Formats: sequence, structure tokens, C-alpha cells
Amino acid sequence: MRKRGLLPDLLLPALVLVAFGAAPFLYSNELMLFNFVTFLALAQGLNIVYGFTGYLPFGYVGFYGAGAYGFALAVMHLHAPPLAAMAAGGAAALVLAVVLLPLLRLSGAYFAIASLAAAQAVYEVVSNPALENVTKGPYGVSLSGVFAPRFSYFVALAILGGAFALVVWLRNSRFGLALQAIREDPVSAASAGVSVVRGRTIAWLLSALVAGLVGAAFAWHISVFYPDTAFDLGVSIFATVFVLFGGATTLTGPLLGVLILYGVYNWIGITVPQYFQFIYGALIVGLVLFLPNGLVSLLTARGIRVP
Amino acid sequence: MLIGAIVAGVVFGLYFTLVGLGLNLVFGVMRIVNLAHGDFLMLGGYAAWWLLSAFGIHPLPAAAIVLVVFMLAGLPLYYLVVPRLQRARDSEMLSLILFFGLSQMIEAVTTIVVGTTERSLPGRLLGIGPMIVLGARLPKPWVFSAAVSAVAVLGVYLYLYRTRLGTLTRAVMVSRDEALATGIDIHRVSAIAFGISLGLAGIAGVFAPFMLGSITPNIGVGLNITAFAVIVVGTLGNPLGTVVGGIVYGVSLMLMQTYFSSWANLLPNLLLIAVLLARPQGLYGRRVRLA
Amino acid sequence: MNIRGALAGLVLAASTVFGARAAPAPAEIKVGTLYASTGPFAAISMPAYDGIKLWVKQANAAGGVYVKPYHKKIPLKLIAYDDQSNTATAATLYNQLITQDHVEILISDSGSVLTSVAVPIAREHKQLLFDLSGTGAPFFSKDNPYIVLMSLPISTLWPKAQADFLNDVGWRAGVRKVAILYATNDFTGTHAKSLAGYLRKAGKETIVYDQGVPTNTTNYSVLINNIAAAKPDAVIELGYPGNDIAFLRALQDSGEKFRYVFTLFGGFEMHAVLGGAGASAMVGTFTYIPAALYPYKVNYGPTVEQFHAAWDKAYPPGSGVAWGADGLMGYMSGLVIERALATTPGMSQLDLRRAVFALSGKLDTLAGAFRLNPVGAQIGEMTPMGQLRADGPHAVRPVAVYPPALAMGKPEFGPRSGQ
Repeated sequence: MRKRGLLPDLLLPALVLVAFGAAPFLYSNELMLFNFVTFLALAQGLNIVYGFTGYLPFGYVGFYGAGAYGFALAVMHLHAPPLAAMAAGGAAALVLAVVLLPLLRLSGAYFAIASLAAAQAVYEVVSNPALENVTKGPYGVSLSGVFAPRFSYFVALAILGGAFALVVWLRNSRFGLALQAIREDPVSAASAGVSVVRGRTIAWLLSALVAGLVGAAFAWHISVFYPDTAFDLGVSIFATVFVLFGGATTLTGPLLGVLILYGVYNWIGITVPQYFQFIYGALIVGLVLFLPNGLVSLLTARGIRVP
Repeated sequence: MLIGAIVAGVVFGLYFTLVGLGLNLVFGVMRIVNLAHGDFLMLGGYAAWWLLSAFGIHPLPAAAIVLVVFMLAGLPLYYLVVPRLQRARDSEMLSLILFFGLSQMIEAVTTIVVGTTERSLPGRLLGIGPMIVLGARLPKPWVFSAAVSAVAVLGVYLYLYRTRLGTLTRAVMVSRDEALATGIDIHRVSAIAFGISLGLAGIAGVFAPFMLGSITPNIGVGLNITAFAVIVVGTLGNPLGTVVGGIVYGVSLMLMQTYFSSWANLLPNLLLIAVLLARPQGLYGRRVRLA
Repeated sequence: MNIRGALAGLVLAASTVFGARAAPAPAEIKVGTLYASTGPFAAISMPAYDGIKLWVKQANAAGGVYVKPYHKKIPLKLIAYDDQSNTATAATLYNQLITQDHVEILISDSGSVLTSVAVPIAREHKQLLFDLSGTGAPFFSKDNPYIVLMSLPISTLWPKAQADFLNDVGWRAGVRKVAILYATNDFTGTHAKSLAGYLRKAGKETIVYDQGVPTNTTNYSVLINNIAAAKPDAVIELGYPGNDIAFLRALQDSGEKFRYVFTLFGGFEMHAVLGGAGASAMVGTFTYIPAALYPYKVNYGPTVEQFHAAWDKAYPPGSGVAWGADGLMGYMSGLVIERALATTPGMSQLDLRRAVFALSGKLDTLAGAFRLNPVGAQIGEMTPMGQLRADGPHAVRPVAVYPPALAMGKPEFGPRSGQ
């Protein structure tokens, strides 16, 4: 890999951030834009761990939910101002990631499934009526006191900027290259002096932090939600499909995945809702069968470097 | 109460052995995760419902019909999807995504065709009222389903250990590459295993209305997660280990229901994580940890 | 969308030019809603959506609905999107209905979870949310005028009927010990909590078992054994239709008998539960009687018999849409909206709110009396207690037994146990 890619690596995120910064002033369905920003950030967050270490956490939504509840608990119990509560959301996700560090010892599908089970377990705890005094259990959270849709939109956009920056850094730093070496061949990477455990741990924590902050922004933006919403498995599935569709390890891949697939999702949902689920399922099947390495592989397979 | 919960757990767990059995067979032979397994199960349930309401066919013969039809349907599906999937770099992981897509398609079509209302089969078909087993009162349909499950496990055992194809299948399970090198027609062996897996899901589906009360098109996803917990606990890739997984799952679920009922769903998840971390080798010594 | 915006601009310009005259009537009144074709909420959402569709069809067959500010009938246009039980998608789509489709009437999807995301969005855009069946108490507050609950009492108030029944009739019949088993979701969880609260406050009945189970629980056999060990007279199971079916079947299979058994959806979605559990498992059990099964006197719209006939014609039995309370709620919300449009002083969202509140206490539909409290929550619909009686070998029919004003028969408790 050549280092010359830094400029396009910076240009592309900048374009996206400017576009989404201007969008709310041009298009009034701000929630749709917010969801786009959310998934753009989640896809890059997942890219950090999957694209650079090969670990695919199916339970990625667990961090998102932890972030949402971290935010909600800080607001409800500590009466924290929203920005401080955002930090609490990120911290909650980090704590969960640390607790789940042992999962990194597992490989492949086992890791994916174990992380899913972990996310489900957190959901079961948060939504249990026994914890009503802490989390409001299954009865849902209402944070109408801090409701600020426009401001939280731009906070989410800032998080997206941060996620982009992390991926740019990973793509262009020694550390990131070392991570990719681990992904390709852990044994020889280890013998070449690359710390396998440390590298994976850092990627895992950063990835969790992104999801936690996004979850906190979601809690702030939507302000009324249930545990089922914050731990909706659909969040994991969407983020995963978007990354795989576009192609991991690049900036472009997850970005295209979100813009195309989530765009199609919204377009089908609004035009032909009744066949929506079927079309989406068929799209996924076709994708895996005919383009297993993602959209960008059309270019990378020809030796073209994609930002 | 304790004994009752344990006996009920064993019987209930035997049914979940049936639910997980096919999933595990496919994983063992093909190293792919069929996330649509629960949806095939759901289809089996609707097939039984349709056979009864349209032709008055009792669930027991319906189970035989479903077994055959689903097995046959599995063969073309295998050739359509799996060989192509296995050419990809990370097929184990991609299989999760692919079969999730398939599961979405199945759920969508089922919803369009039958609607979302709960459907079930009358309980009297398998007998109403309790059956006393070791002092515990169990619903008759549970005992029935557990018995069918035991027969299915026996069938899979006989297939794997007493037939030529079964021997070849086991060879593929142990090492795909070696099997390929010795000239085994991997695709034939795998396609049949895939068919059997679908057939098993179908039978489990026939009994689902009795075990779960009713079925809707969206039960697949939840069943899958449970089935996965069952086969992980019972050793992934070892179909007969599923029995252990099913029983461990059933018994611990019933104990949780008895003593901490609202936390019952926490259990399969924690069980799964604990087993993966503590017994990574499984019974067959398959490597699931990297470092 | 731009064309639509330009048109709206033209209309606006036209109305300023012809300033003094009333705004020209639109060609259609846009009604926006969401439904969940798949996922966990599909079972309650689809019938409600079918109810709304039936209302729109009937209204348009009659040339539209009368809209007072324009002094004429205007056809309805239903704009409906599929949220697939996904709240993030639902949020986007609610926003789409408000900001892109500019619907005049916004109806939420069924149930509290899918309604929850609509509440802040509707409020932010100052759009009145016609809340179909989201009964969550946090939705209703003094500072939010943009919500009205159509058809169910809020979940904290609802269980009072049953508590009163147990404390009064049940107590006299010797029911002393109560077991409550509920699914831990917002709807049934709140219900169970409020019920236990009412019982404790009265201080008569003793609660000997009060446990939650995950909502996707389908195996009740061991739970029933455990409940039996607590020796209750009354067993109250609160869950969704799938839970109720599984519970009733397990109860029948267990051979256990209790003097009083209650399920929520045994009445609310009687036909769906009957199809799953069978008549013999349901006979003798108690339930709430929903409007779909009770002949309320109406002063507006069809009676429940007329509506049932229209429903069966639109959705023949076996078409996958069971006749039940959710379908009626969707339809009934349409009636309230229709009536509000016919009496509203203007077309702004707050005018509509005023019109809906003006109906409170005056409107009697097939769902019973329509009454709102000041924050927009429904308090009119009293769901009477009922008992299911055999109606031939394969069906049951509900009989209202409490409160006395609505009763059509006497409750029959099971025999006292021999101990």
C-alpha cells in the first residue's frame, strides 16, 4: 500500500460532511438525514473493527444501546447537560467493550454469535422490570427535557467526522497497516513483532466508542425510546450489510453501502412498501453471491486504489 | 417443583434438540451458518396447518410429507446457493449474511400469503391433558414431540454411522480438504446433508404449534438464536452433541423460569458465551479460538 | 416533491390574491399512517391498518368526508408506509408523512413502541398525532397538545375494572388469593403493575404470585406448575395473543383448575386466540370485553354488527385478517377523525385538536363513549369484564359480567378446591 492516498482519503469525508451539514437547510425530513448520518457513522465504526481486524461483531448494536442508555441514565439520574451525557454514553460503551474483551479470543462465526449473545444479554438486563428504578425497565425512557433535534443532528455529524478521522488514520498509519497484517496472518505478524492483542484491543475499543457515541446522539435526537428501540438487532444488521456491500477497509465502501442501500431502502419503503422486505432480502442474497468482497472490489480487483 | 422443572426441562430440551439438529448438521458439513433455519421451521408449521385445514391431514402423516418435500426442496437450494458461497474468502461469515437475506425473503412471502394472525393446530390432535412422567405433569404434545425428536436423532445417527453416504459425510466433517483429495463428491454429500437439515427443520415446524402455542411468520429469527445457543452448548459441528445442548438448554430454562422468571431470556445468551469461552475445543476438538 | 412544493406555493399565492374569500378546497384530504407488515408488531398493526383502509374506502364511496371549513365533501387519500416494526424506520417515515407528504391527518402505528417515536416528531412539527393504541403514560403531558388517544384507556387506568371486579364480586365468591403472570413489555408490564397497585390499595385480595416473563415466552407448563404451588384462587395472565394462546393451551394440558382465570387477548383478539387455543381451553375464562364484542349504543357511525358485516365483506374469513379489537380501533379512529373534520372551526392542527376535544363526552361510537382527559388520554372507553361461555363445541361467546350497568349475565367461578 502506498502512502499517497492521504489526500483523497481526506477529501471524500470532507465532501460528505459538507453535504450533510447543508442538507437540513434544503430538505425537511431531518430524521431521514439523521438516520443517514447515524448509519454512516456506525458503518465506519464497524469498519474499524471488521475492516482492520477481520472481527465481525453481530452484536454491534449492544454498544449503540449502551450509549443510548448511558446518555439517558446521565440525564435522568445525574441531570447532566446533554454534552456531558454524550460522554457518559461513550463511556458506557467503552465499559461494555472492556467487559467483552475475552470474546476477542474467539474466531470467525463464534465471535460474531457470541457478541450477538452479549448484546442480547445487555438488552435483557436493561429491559428487566426489576431494574425499573434505574433504567425504567421495559417502560421506556422519556427525555423531553433535553430534546434538541437540530443541535443533536450536528453533534451526530461531528461524531461521523470523528469516525472518518479514525478510519483515515488507520488507513495511513503504521498502526493501521500492522492491524491489517494481523488480519491477513496473525502468526507471522506476531513473529514480526506486531502486538496482536494490543492492536485488536485498540480497534475494538475505538469501534465500540463510535457506536456508543452514535447511540447517545440517537437517544438525544429521538428523546422517547424503549429498550427494544435502542437494542434493535436491525441496527447491527444494517450496519453489517452496508459495510459488506460497499467493501470493508476503505472509506468509500461503507459510505457507498449506506448511501446506496439505505437510499434504496428508503426509496422502496416509500414507493412499494408491500414488497419491501422481499426486495431487500433478495438484494442481500444477490450481493453475497455475486459481489462477496463488496462494491469497491470491482475497482480494487483491477489494482485501482480506492480511498 | 425442582424435580418437575428438571423433568419438564429434559422433555422440552429434547424438542429443541430437534430444532437445532439440522442447523448443526449443515454447520458440521459445510461450515456455514444457516440463519434461515428457523424460517424453514416456520414454513414446516404452516405446511402442517395448511395440510390439516385444506385436506384434513393429521400432523403425524403431515410430518412425513413435510420431511420428504423439504428434503427434496433442499437439494436445488443447495446447488443454487452454497457452492458459490463457499468460493468466497470468508464463507463462514458471509453465510450469516446470505441466509439472513434468505430469511427475510421467506418471512416476507409467508406474510403476504398467510397474513400475520397467529395460527395453530388443535391440541386434541396429539391429546389434551397431562401425562405423568417421573412424578412430573407434562403436556401430552411435549412428550410426543420429544419422542419424535428422539427418533430423528436416532435416524441421523444411523445415517451417519451405518450408511456409506454417512461415512462419507463424516469424512467431510472431519476435513473438507482431505475428503476432496480422496475423491469424495463433496457437493453430493453436502447437498444431501442440506436436504436432511431442511427436512428436520420441517418436522420440528410441524410440532411447533403444539410446543409454542401458535406460529406467526416472524418466529424464525428468535428460534434461530435459541437453536444457535443449543448447538453451541452441545458442540458446534457435532450433530449428536445437539442432544446435550438441547437438554442443558431445556433444564436450565425451566429452572430459571421457576426461580427467576423474568430473567429467563438472559440464560441462553450467557450460556452460549460461557461455553464458548470456557470450552472452546468442544467435544471434537475443533479450534474456535485464535489466541 | 419540488413540484408539490411549487403547487403549494401557487395555492398559497392564489389564496392571498383572492384574500377575502375562503381558501379553496383541496382536491383531497391526505391521511397518513404507518403499518408493520412484518416483525413483532405485525399482528396488532395489520388489522388496525385494515380498519383504517376500510374507513377510507367507505368514506370515499360516499363521495368523501364533509369538511366544515370548506362546506363540502372532500375525498380522502390514504398515504401509508411500512415500518416493518422497526422504530428507526418508523421515525423516518413519520417525518416523511409530515414534512414531505404534508398530510392533514397523522395516525400512528399500533402499540406503544411504534407510537413512541412519533410523539416527539409530531410535537416538533406541531402536527396533531391521532394515537391509535399507544397507551404509554409518558406520551401524555400538559406541555404537549399535539396528541390524542383514540381508542383505549391509558394503561394505568385500564386494570381498575378488573381490580374492582375481584374486590367486589370475586371477594363475595370467596376469591382471596391472586396470582399475576405478565409479559415484561411496556403494555402488559404497566398493566400488571397497575393491577397489583389497585389490589394492594383496596387491601382485600392477597397477591401470592407476581412474576414477569419475557414477552417471547411460549412455554408455560412449568410456570403453571409453580403458580399452582402458590395455591391461588385467581390466575391473571397478561400477555400478547401469542402468550395467551400458549398459556391457555398449557393450562388445559396441565390439568390444573383455578377458580378464576383471566387473559387479556382472550377477549380482545378472541377469534385469533380461539384459532390458536381452541374453544375448550377458553371456556369459563375471564377477559375484558372489547368494543368488537359488545353492542354499544352509537350516536355516530355503524353499530358493531353493521361494522362486522362490512368487515367480513371487505376481508372474507380466512383472508389472514382476523376480526377483532385492533381492526375496530383503526376504523373507530377514522370515525372520530371524520366527525372532527365535520365540526372543526379551521384546518390548522390546533383547530383539529379543538374539534376532537369538543367531541369528548358527546360522541358514542361502536367503541363506546369517547372521552378525553385534559392531556389527550382516553378515559371514556370502559372495558367491561366478561366471561367466555361455550357456543357450540368449537366456539365461545363473551358475556359481560361487570360492572352491573353493563352486565348481561352472572359470573361463574370454578368450584372451590377440596383442601
